[in-house]
Amino acid sequence: MADKDNPDTTKHKRDDTTQPMVLPGIHRYQFFTNLKDRGWTRNLDRVALFGIVGALLATVVKPVLRGNAATIYCYECRACYATQDRCPVGIAFQAELAVAGRVGDYDRFIRNGGLKCIRCGNCQSYCVQYLPLPEMFGTMQQDTREAMAKGIIPRSSLDKGLAEGLIGKEFIDDVVKALSRS
Amino acid sequence: MEILGYITLTIFLGLMLLTLFGYIRTPVQTVLVFSTLLCLIVGAGFRYAYSGWEAVMLMPNEFLGGIILHPITALLTGLFLAGGLKASGGFEALKVLLQYLRRSPIGLVGTLVILINLPVISSLPCGRILAAALLPLLFTFGFEGGLGILTRTQLIVLIGAFTRNAMGSCGPSPIGGVGQIGEGFLGSFFATASEGILRAPQAFSLMLGTAIVALFLKFVSQRLYPDDVALRDAPLTAVSAGKEPEIDAPLEGYLALVIFVASLLTAIFQPFGKMPVQSVLVVGALLMIVVCRIRLTDLMEGIILLPVTAMAAGFLAAGALAATGGFDALGVILNSLVAVPFLGVAGMLAIFVQFQTILPLSCARILTAALVPVLYLFGPAKFGFLDWPQLAIVMAAYIINATTSCGPSPLGGGGMMGEGTMRAETGFIKGAYTFASMAIMAPLAAIYMKFLNLSVFDPSNENFVRDIVTIAEFALVIAVVNIAFILYGSRLFGTDTSRNFLIQLVGFLLAGALSGGILAFALFEQNTSAILQGIAGGLIAALLIALMVPRTLSRRMTATLSGPEI
Repeated sequence: MADKDNPDTTKHKRDDTTQPMVLPGIHRYQFFTNLKDRGWTRNLDRVALFGIVGALLATVVKPVLRGNAATIYCYECRACYATQDRCPVGIAFQAELAVAGRVGDYDRFIRNGGLKCIRCGNCQSYCVQYLPLPEMFGTMQQDTREAMAKGIIPRSSLDKGLAEGLIGKEFIDDVVKALSRS
Repeated sequence: MEILGYITLTIFLGLMLLTLFGYIRTPVQTVLVFSTLLCLIVGAGFRYAYSGWEAVMLMPNEFLGGIILHPITALLTGLFLAGGLKASGGFEALKVLLQYLRRSPIGLVGTLVILINLPVISSLPCGRILAAALLPLLFTFGFEGGLGILTRTQLIVLIGAFTRNAMGSCGPSPIGGVGQIGEGFLGSFFATASEGILRAPQAFSLMLGTAIVALFLKFVSQRLYPDDVALRDAPLTAVSAGKEPEIDAPLEGYLALVIFVASLLTAIFQPFGKMPVQSVLVVGALLMIVVCRIRLTDLMEGIILLPVTAMAAGFLAAGALAATGGFDALGVILNSLVAVPFLGVAGMLAIFVQFQTILPLSCARILTAALVPVLYLFGPAKFGFLDWPQLAIVMAAYIINATTSCGPSPLGGGGMMGEGTMRAETGFIKGAYTFASMAIMAPLAAIYMKFLNLSVFDPSNENFVRDIVTIAEFALVIAVVNIAFILYGSRLFGTDTSRNFLIQLVGFLLAGALSGGILAFALFEQNTSAILQGIAGGLIAALLIALMVPRTLSRRMTATLSGPEI
């Protein structure tokens, strides 16, 4: 009611003495209780909400379409890090590979040693849900190989991967070809 | 490219602080999406300049990687189940059972204590699942809810303490809880860490912290904000001794309750093999539809969209920060604090463990997923500030502080559910929740980890008794000192809000100093300079936390309470 009578009040809401004071002279806006003040951003809020829902949908639908649906179920609890030296190629952060496989983040996959994984399955025994990690990583390896063939992986990622020994021998040729094309 | 991280970190922190202080007046989801967009635009500019168009095109994949699907889907399915329980009369059945429990030797108080600790007992991956189900039930204990068993003050304490317990129970959850992120990293050294190395320290400190929250709400919050809770007491004329309303529950309610409990137990103990908690809860919800004859709409009514969308938006913002190097920049900043003479490693860690309480977001996972790797790097993996046992101690303190940070968050945090249930203005519970996280939970978790989880203990080992006694001594000292702060501090409150705020600030500083000192002792034992540095770090963290606690709440509530509407 007060805002209808005096529309200027929303311009300086922080000076509104009916707002809670968090520091001397600073009032905090109660954006959850004062719904009427959301009016000026209504369309912005709707766009943002569509953005959130769209991002969530993309996160779920994308791995399903790419044939890597198991990645959706990863808790990201990182129990797989206990693999330690039982990983024959020394991958330290397996959960990173699962997340990279879910969203198709090639740089993250290569950076964390995804292309040197030999899919032995040792890490799978540490997964609290016993997710098929070797299959998940294998699918992402194939996706990465195709992405390299299409030339959509930045040269810097491949260069770094080669320099740091993060490329397994079965992918060396693909990486070299991709680098020679770019 | 390093400068990009500092720019995006400034954008994120700036927008969050501007929202907290009211300079940006939109829902938090909008701000977080805006922050994501800004970071991505700036990041795209830098990437185009340094790595070309291909690197820009891959950015959406990278920031989507920030979304952690598990808590979002677990929360949604949990809320489904809670909706089903409500629609089928499961809460009425629970009320009947509680009445039986009240008449048992444990009485009303014992029943309420069990209820308050139910979240940590069941330990679901998000505290909101149980809170959404049980908060309406707790409300019924008051006059307005119908039962009239508790007074207004008692109901505030009950709801506040229960919500505190719930919004921390995601920490020790074995089915994808926040604590598992820390356990995963500790698994790099402690091979069996993922079996629950952080669970006991979290549960222990959460239980004691819940009790302190109850005291704080009774003696401090209600005196600081006396007119900001709209709950009402029963009028004197309505009091009729010995009369209690009869509660009838339909058979479907009992069946729904059985399905609800069975689903939770199946999700936690996994007797039929490993399966995601979401699948178990959805099967439970489908069973409710068949057995209790409820509609799909009833299930959907249980969904609370705010936490889901706020959490998702937070993950997006965190993903954008990670993709543009913002968290790397934060790690460098924290690392540089070590060079400050009066802080050192102990002081920096005393601030670090309180970081999420200083900047509470709607879900603890948003920052935890980004900061736990930073903490990991402080250990032998990179910087070598800490050895593995020390890293485990800091991790225990950090994780409990982080998991409880969604409670006091005014940006759609879980504590707002409690505030809504007790008809309080936003911010009413913030002081109590942040105080308990900072002063009780973090140091207790560290001490527990040091003296019990990291010790070799068995009944024949003399260390077992010694360590138990040590933990008991520390717990007693921490509890007694903080209870003294609360009780004696609250007696000094008067009518002057500025003076009250100042008294509270002093209390926070003293408790923060104690917390920082104990953490430093847990890490470096009798190293005096480290303890002093820990105290200095604790003071800084406490100052930042205390300044974020509202000085006064809305006067509109006061006007409403005393106005003609009532």
